[in-house]
Amino acid sequence: MAASGLASIADAGAARGPPTVPIRWALVLLGLAAAATSFTLALLSEDVSATLGEPLLIAGLTAWVTLSYVVCGLVAWWRRPANRFGPLLIVAGFVNFLSTLSWSSRDVLHTLGQALDLLPPVIFLHVFLAFPDGRLKGRFVRSFIAAAYVVAIALELVRMSAGDYGPHNLLHLYSNARVEDVAWKVQLLTVSACCLAGVAVLGVRGRRAGRPLRRSVALLVDAFGLALMLIAFLFISAVFGGPAVAQIRWAAFIALALAPTVFLIGLLQARLARSALGELFLELRLDLSPSDLRDALARTLRDPSLELAYWLPEYKTYADVDGRALTLRELAQGRATTLIDRNGKHVAALVHDPSLQDEPELLDAATAAAGIAVENGRLQAELKARLVELRGSRARVIDAGQKERQRLERNLHDGAQQRLIALSLELSLLAQRVAADPDARKRVIQAREEIAISLEELRDVARGIHPAVLSGHGLEVALESMAARAPVPVRLLVDLDGRLHERLEVAAYYVVSESLANIAKHARASSASVNVTRSNGQVLVEIVDDGIGGADTEAGSGLRGLADRVESLGGRLRVWTPQGGGTRVKAEIPCG
Amino acid sequence: MRVAIAEDSVLLREGVARLLGEAGLDVVAQCGNADDLLVEVRNDRVDVAIVDIRLPPTHNDEGLRAALEIRADHPAVGVLVLSQYVELGLAMKLLANSAEGVGYLLKDRIGDLDEFVGAVQRVAAGGSALDPIIVSTLLSRQRSEDPLDELTPREREVLTLMAEGRSNQGIADKLVITLRAVEKYVSTIFGKLGLPSTGSDSRRVLAVLLYLRS
Repeated sequence: MAASGLASIADAGAARGPPTVPIRWALVLLGLAAAATSFTLALLSEDVSATLGEPLLIAGLTAWVTLSYVVCGLVAWWRRPANRFGPLLIVAGFVNFLSTLSWSSRDVLHTLGQALDLLPPVIFLHVFLAFPDGRLKGRFVRSFIAAAYVVAIALELVRMSAGDYGPHNLLHLYSNARVEDVAWKVQLLTVSACCLAGVAVLGVRGRRAGRPLRRSVALLVDAFGLALMLIAFLFISAVFGGPAVAQIRWAAFIALALAPTVFLIGLLQARLARSALGELFLELRLDLSPSDLRDALARTLRDPSLELAYWLPEYKTYADVDGRALTLRELAQGRATTLIDRNGKHVAALVHDPSLQDEPELLDAATAAAGIAVENGRLQAELKARLVELRGSRARVIDAGQKERQRLERNLHDGAQQRLIALSLELSLLAQRVAADPDARKRVIQAREEIAISLEELRDVARGIHPAVLSGHGLEVALESMAARAPVPVRLLVDLDGRLHERLEVAAYYVVSESLANIAKHARASSASVNVTRSNGQVLVEIVDDGIGGADTEAGSGLRGLADRVESLGGRLRVWTPQGGGTRVKAEIPCG
Repeated sequence: MRVAIAEDSVLLREGVARLLGEAGLDVVAQCGNADDLLVEVRNDRVDVAIVDIRLPPTHNDEGLRAALEIRADHPAVGVLVLSQYVELGLAMKLLANSAEGVGYLLKDRIGDLDEFVGAVQRVAAGGSALDPIIVSTLLSRQRSEDPLDELTPREREVLTLMAEGRSNQGIADKLVITLRAVEKYVSTIFGKLGLPSTGSDSRRVLAVLLYLRS
């Protein structure tokens, strides 16, 4: 009966689904039957009353341990079907039951129970180390648990073959007290050592556990550690003839008996996290902004340090919610990463506390629930990344253009213009030499005048390419000439404390020159004012006229080009131009 | 008359030195940068310095800064600033306190030998030489109520030449009229613009400039 029960558990566990109703009922009934059997056997056994005393208490505790492990395991399996921990608890319950069969007076049952006598402490150790996902992590843990199983069963069989376990022991082949004694000592010491190793492993895990690990898990670790240490103490004390402290045995019993209840609390906590998932679902319906999405996920997973990095395939990089590139390797230093895929495409990565990996189902559920929002956030991050890139490339294009213009102007200045001036000087000297020949002199002077015209034209061209006075002497000097040449009286006020960054000066210069050109062409103004001031870390350029207003801000590329320049510096260009109310152009450009 | 030239184009520097030499001026130094010029001026070897506004190393405002320094520390030395552009703002900087012994001309003017040598001599002697472009920019500047409109074309011509820093005799020679006629025009102009008549030619320049700029 018990064997078939275990088989069905194993099968159902392998299917990784929740237990069906018949299996649930079968397990409950099996558990009740097992508990009742243990209870009866403990009461009837002479062995129990002779060696342990308090048969009623022993019976009650044994029955309770069997039943509580089975029931808690069943609940765990039912609620977290993908988790192997539930089935493991159930197995532990039934193994505990099987070991109590040693109290039976029937030969077969007694032999079976006796053979499994030392299995319960080992499987409890297994259970503790497998919390919370039912898996043993690490080769070291797996190997010493395996060793504990082998030693517990094999040496028990050796002892049974060589020792005197009463008339019901079917395995008794010969009597050798020495073999029996050595086997017993080795067995107890090995199992004790494994228990202590288990305590050490739990201690190390507790230390490594990050902030989000539930406090109850720390409680569990303490409880486990206590029970395992008590078992180890009892066995070692027995081997070395130490005091058989009855209180310690009781304490170990009680700790083992309470452990499944503590597990249940742990599971309940996980259930709480699941209800936080419910809240996440509700929040997701509110169309979260990407940064709120991160907060919601951090709350759901109880990890305030959680980071959400969106994958931007085009840039082959991760980015934060603002589209700034992130390197996952730096972000993930000492942290765990969970990749989020959607429709077979990688969309994001969660960088979180490593302890969250103990709850893979929660992580999976949360990331699945947030899928659409994450995809949405990813698109937004991508958009922002493109904007950042676009702004950068626009600034680079404008900068490059500006540099090229400066270079051209410089070339003209140092090259053609300089040579023409020298040539004109040369011709003047020549004209003096040929003063005696009026015709030659006239022609030389004519040539010089041609050069003068060329120089003038060249100067206009060069000025159009780049206002050299701006880079040489700053905005105020450059604007003074511009205002003086304007076709309407311009009241100019420049209040800057020293020079600005060249890009800013160029942008401000073109804002003023384009605005004054527009005033000349369209505004029919009688006067204008130009104010350039610096305040609160930004430069303010304002051009106001008293003309007819109603300027077309779309036609022509003038204003658009200005806006490009200003925006590429992170600034803003605004134009107010009511019909008949003059025009106001205002540029705000951050100095930083 | 001892002249120092600061100009980084060798071609132009030597050309200017040659033409000034042929005109009988004593070119004592040809410098490729502002620092060399300042050394010459400090050693009291120079009556007038001719400075290109764009000089190495940055070709931004080294020449202008040298000119301003000479004006501040060596008021006896005349400074003639040359540039391929003339800017009103820079003219106002150069003439901030006085128009004495200062000039600001477009480089193109070098080709007009007599005019150029005349300007150098004027500046060396404590007078002024302002480029016609500056003056015409100021004259053409738009004003709401413009007293300049009351000037006759001839009076405007005289005003322009006055603003360029020429003396009454210079104006008379240029316009081929008598000195007395010039004096009469000048007093009429000052009357129409409401300017007090002033003493020296350079004071007259500053007064006219400030009037035109306001």
